[in-house]
Amino acid sequence: MGAKSEPSAIVSELTLLQERDGWLSESGLRDLAARLRLPLHRLESVSTFYTHFRRSPPEERELAVCRDLPCALAGGEGALARLSEREPGLKLREVSCLGRCDRAPAAQLDDGGIELDLSRGESRPLAARTAGPWAAELYSDRAEHYSTLRSRLAGDPAACIRELEDAGLRGMGGAGFPTGRKWSLVAAEASEPRYLICNADESEPGTFKDRQILTDLPHLVIEGMALAARSVGARRGWVFIRHEYAPERRRLAAELERAYAAGALGRDIFGSGFDFDVDVFVSPGGYILGEETALLECMEGRRGEPRNKPPFPGSKGLWGQPTLINNVETFVHAAGILSRGAEWWRGLGRGEFAGHKFVSVSGDVERPQVVLVPMGTPLGELLDFWGGMRDGRAPSAVAPGGASSNFLGADGLDTPLDFEALREAGSMLGSGAAIFVAEGRDLTEVGLNVARFFRNESCGKCVPCRVGSHKAVALVEREGVNPRTRAKLEELDATLSETSICGLGQVALAPLLSLLRGAPE
Amino acid sequence: MIELTIDGRRVRVPEGTTIWDAARGAGIDIPTLCHDPRLSPVGVCRVCVVDVGAPALAASCVRPCEAGMEVETSSARVERRRGELVELLMSDQPPPESDARETSLGDNALLELARRYDAWGGSLPRQADRPADASSPVIAVDHQACILCDRCVRACDDVQSNEVIGRSGKGYAARIAFDLDAPMGDSTCVACGECAAVCPTGALVDKPLDSELRPRERLDPVDSVCPYCGVGCALTYHVDRARNRIVFAEGRDSPGNQKRLCVKGRYGWDYAQHPQRLTTPLIRRESAYPKGPLSKDVRGEHDGRRKPGGIVDYAEVLPAFREASWDEALELVARRLSGILREHGPDATAGFGSAKCSNEEAYLFQKMLRAGWGTNNVDHCTRLCHASSVAALREGIGSGAVTTTYGDVRNAEVALLAGTNTTANHPVAASFFKQARKRGTKLIVVDPRRAPIAEHADYYCRIKPGTDVAFYNAVMAVIIDAGLADSGYIERFTENYSELRETVARYTPETAARICGVDADTIRRIGLELGRAKSSIVYWGMGISQHVYGTNNARCLIALALLTGNVGKPGSGLHPLRGQNNVQGASDAGLIPMMYPDYQPVGDPEARAKFERAWGRPLNPEPGLTVVEITRGALEGRIKGMYVMGENPFLSDPDVNKVRKALATLDFLAVQDIFLTETAEFADVILPAGSYMEKLGTYTNTDRRVQIGRPALEPPGQARIDWRITAEISSRMGYPMHYDSPEQIFDEMAALTENYRTLRYANLGKTGKLWPNPDPERGDGSEILFEDGFPTPSGRARFVPAEWTAAPELPDEEFPLVLNTGRLLEHWHTGSMTRRAVALDRIEPEAFVGVHPGDAEALGLAEGQRVRVVSARGSVVLKARLTERECPGAVFMPFHFREAAANLLTLDELDPDGKIPEFKFCAVRLEPLREA
Repeated sequence: MGAKSEPSAIVSELTLLQERDGWLSESGLRDLAARLRLPLHRLESVSTFYTHFRRSPPEERELAVCRDLPCALAGGEGALARLSEREPGLKLREVSCLGRCDRAPAAQLDDGGIELDLSRGESRPLAARTAGPWAAELYSDRAEHYSTLRSRLAGDPAACIRELEDAGLRGMGGAGFPTGRKWSLVAAEASEPRYLICNADESEPGTFKDRQILTDLPHLVIEGMALAARSVGARRGWVFIRHEYAPERRRLAAELERAYAAGALGRDIFGSGFDFDVDVFVSPGGYILGEETALLECMEGRRGEPRNKPPFPGSKGLWGQPTLINNVETFVHAAGILSRGAEWWRGLGRGEFAGHKFVSVSGDVERPQVVLVPMGTPLGELLDFWGGMRDGRAPSAVAPGGASSNFLGADGLDTPLDFEALREAGSMLGSGAAIFVAEGRDLTEVGLNVARFFRNESCGKCVPCRVGSHKAVALVEREGVNPRTRAKLEELDATLSETSICGLGQVALAPLLSLLRGAPE
Repeated sequence: MIELTIDGRRVRVPEGTTIWDAARGAGIDIPTLCHDPRLSPVGVCRVCVVDVGAPALAASCVRPCEAGMEVETSSARVERRRGELVELLMSDQPPPESDARETSLGDNALLELARRYDAWGGSLPRQADRPADASSPVIAVDHQACILCDRCVRACDDVQSNEVIGRSGKGYAARIAFDLDAPMGDSTCVACGECAAVCPTGALVDKPLDSELRPRERLDPVDSVCPYCGVGCALTYHVDRARNRIVFAEGRDSPGNQKRLCVKGRYGWDYAQHPQRLTTPLIRRESAYPKGPLSKDVRGEHDGRRKPGGIVDYAEVLPAFREASWDEALELVARRLSGILREHGPDATAGFGSAKCSNEEAYLFQKMLRAGWGTNNVDHCTRLCHASSVAALREGIGSGAVTTTYGDVRNAEVALLAGTNTTANHPVAASFFKQARKRGTKLIVVDPRRAPIAEHADYYCRIKPGTDVAFYNAVMAVIIDAGLADSGYIERFTENYSELRETVARYTPETAARICGVDADTIRRIGLELGRAKSSIVYWGMGISQHVYGTNNARCLIALALLTGNVGKPGSGLHPLRGQNNVQGASDAGLIPMMYPDYQPVGDPEARAKFERAWGRPLNPEPGLTVVEITRGALEGRIKGMYVMGENPFLSDPDVNKVRKALATLDFLAVQDIFLTETAEFADVILPAGSYMEKLGTYTNTDRRVQIGRPALEPPGQARIDWRITAEISSRMGYPMHYDSPEQIFDEMAALTENYRTLRYANLGKTGKLWPNPDPERGDGSEILFEDGFPTPSGRARFVPAEWTAAPELPDEEFPLVLNTGRLLEHWHTGSMTRRAVALDRIEPEAFVGVHPGDAEALGLAEGQRVRVVSARGSVVLKARLTERECPGAVFMPFHFREAAANLLTLDELDPDGKIPEFKFCAVRLEPLREA
């Protein structure tokens, strides 16, 4: 079969064209179509799907402002109004989560990577903000970096997978699929070549832990990728990273350079005979690309619309070849387990729980930030340890796994951070993003904010999600919450969750309903 | 095989089968909106969801069956979810009473589900802000009714490979879009209509042509075949019997076209319903003698400006004729022609039959001339089309027909498309070429004009006009030099190889490059591709054949296929793409001057004896004159009487000024046609014929597929079916012909041939049969010919080397450009049909000359500017269209337009073997007009 080894040129060509002209003009697109020998509709379809691409000339100065939950809770609207007054020449554009909920309300000026801190009313160049030290760091000295990889290259690849299975590591991107099993499925595929992708397209409101990891522990991400590649027999890998993460991308690029220089990537890694190359693929934008098959579609130069599954990427992924896709954090923990052993990992958790977890804490809290806590830590402790709720208010609800997780009431704060425990409590761990909502908030508005996010980010491929997410929001906006609309929302929720192609549609209405169900009729 | 349970039934299916297909096989229909078995499934509407015991339901159209799966296709839960999905979709739909599909065709699949689930969208807020787009002449777009099922996208991309429709925007705001979101009518859409044919809602609906669209239940479906090109697409006309009107056409499943149609087939049938149809026999008034052209355009006084409809102005022409009864008209024809036979002998008469008529009509026509009149002066437009290809094929491999089908391209590693603007002239065949390329077949396109198919090519070679022989000889030299000639095949199946080798050895890539303008390295690469391919097919068109060295061009292609052993196995062969719907059949039926039916030579005493026995008359042993020779004969006074059935030589033959004189010189001319053509202006008698849509008959397509065309309409007024008129004339001229049906004629013809011998109306079935066909009761016929030798005396194919010679009229200072003539997608030949088809006329209403922008710049010629094109024989005025498709130094004119007749400029030099004129190369100059 004609398996190709390079991501499609379409996305990068469009990016280059936009960098050249500032936007994608009709004549520019026609020339590009002729050069790439593509039908015009292909460029139309791709260029209008991704938020990064402009089909009209840009405004002089444009401020992208996040409208999603943590930023809304941080008073984004009021801050915006003040800013427009002060700078009338500024064009404001509402966008989805920028992955900077720790500095909510988040905003970004132009594409140039200027960050505007609305709460303080000042702007400064976007820079990666380091934190830590992190308990996940394996090395006390930079010279030791990649030593796990060096030692593991000598051993049996299957032993790595067994180690992960023993540890019980699960995917940290949201779905929680057992990592060892995922690796073994790809390793068992007969087809060559096989690919590996690190999913750094973190885009869900309340989620920004991968950004912190890429800033502070990029060497562990790369080491985890190389270990995974060796385990599954992949020789090419990509970090798929959102375009808004420019500073993190620079950190990553620098670390990749270091890794190549150290012989930890490239040909004949550490003299083992094993080759593995890593490139960075910059996402042209959209929450849906975090869905792994949408991500693949994007890399293949199409609209980022999730595929019907099965087949799963492990058997038919990029260009139809077996592809291992893991989250940034998963690679870090995999490196940890392969360095220190399953026993170490299991001992990190509290009580019967295994491992630790990076959690993004945001919302109505005093100091939104990323924390690394043992698995099993009760949700409420996330507040106790890091400054508590903003202005000392009491929490009324928390979404423990980001915008896609159901809200738990104050009575859910005892629930331990754990895949199963949170599922039993009616929510989920997701990617580990606790959004706290303070008492006194209009919970319908909170739920509606989340529903709007999914509506805005629906790719539009399947009917239930495309139409259902839109109609549900319109219904509440138009008629409010009453017994008829409640019943209709329940019906829509069932339809979306049971018939949508991907997780986005399946959960689109659930957080809203979780809040409505908790509220009195 | 895997076993699973569907609705309690045990089902065994091959691995990989989807649940939807498995259920269907078990007789369980699962509703769907986005799925169509012809398209690869996308699973986006979700209406086909089923319960497989998981928390989420599974879309059955994309979900493969798994062993042990227990599937419920219509549980209460499943049905409830489907109902809600329909409710969601219905919430934004136009009201059923104003839905474009429901109110016309009545087959809106979403509304059918709305009724089934009683879901009308009322429980949800409605948003109705999506635009309509009426810009296409044939399809109405209503974005409000679009459910983004992706069917049109796949139909356009995967089926037709026209690649116009995509999606714009994201999420709820997403819409289908044409190109870069252009209005459909301004986009690169070629109006094949495949999108509207697959659309389940009112989003893409055919516009009515000349009568209102109606639900199919209220119409009579008539299974027939498209009347236009040699691809011979199977289709169904949906007919309003009460009003004697075709309402719409639909592609029909057949091994050939697989339901596909092009713009002509789908939207070009209404010519038969045009008010200008001839309905009464006409006799030239005494006052209209001496004969001559009647309309300004035919007199040559045209200025290239388009008159309404661009067709014959009957007011200019009809006063020269009076209505007559059939009896009077037929009697006059019989008397005058019999008089000429008596006075001047049989060879003073001639007849042009038509490749638009049926096999039966072609057979009767030539039978009348040969047995009734005693002349072999019978020919038709095959002479203007593939006569040279047929000459080369008969000489080389003993048979003039294709050795494999257009669909066999799917099995070819490489397909060479030589001198064929396939997307315009064989659009549905082109769709298979494009599809094959997506599945891995390499396409090599060689043509001075960069036709749209070149955009799909792996290699496009722009040879200079008229240099094919040099190019292909060099390609063969490369193959031989590289040791890639198939020596086993050559030894076993061919002769005269050493002569070929000697000749092509003189054509090194460098030598050829100097002649043909393609660089030597590219010639080498092409040679290596063709030499290394395990299978390759050559498809060619008029760019090869319509030259004075057309036979030499074809000889090269034949040699190329033989050299690489590529005849007689799947994905290999020779395929001249036949132009007319029945040019293969008309030739098969003997409508050519040197052959009886089935290519039995008139000069062969054995064959002659056979036909003399069958037809009961002594036959003329001398091969007759060809089309252009007959015209010359008329000009020289040797041909005095002619009977023209369904041809329009005035516009289709080269050098119109000469044809005009020739036609006016004839003592007697009878023209039988459905419209008053340019040729009919010179007629003594005009006989109103039934159109294709009005008769029963068989037609043989480019693949050798013999298919039945069935009557969809009643002939207007007194118009009569062609074969009945011919039989009547023959009888009145003393050679009685009594047939009850076309079937009877077919049986008579088939019995006199080898290739049709087994075929009968009864065994042609719904989709026809290929000839030869050893067992038509059970088999489709032989797709691939000559697997084990050739029908030549030696049983071997013959290499016939050809030397490159320059064109007869080269550009010079006075006439510096080369004129190439040809056709457009939307029009057919002399335009008598297509310019009377509402949609086709609207899309391409006027004549133009295509000019390369570089040449235009040198001339100071702007897009759309009027320009006079002058050759040594005449001149026309028309608009310029600037396009890089044209070869620098050459211009292109379609020959469909009477008001700017390309053939006023062409020259009537003939190929010595095929007797085909040079339509593709004459010298002209362009004089831009400075006028408002």
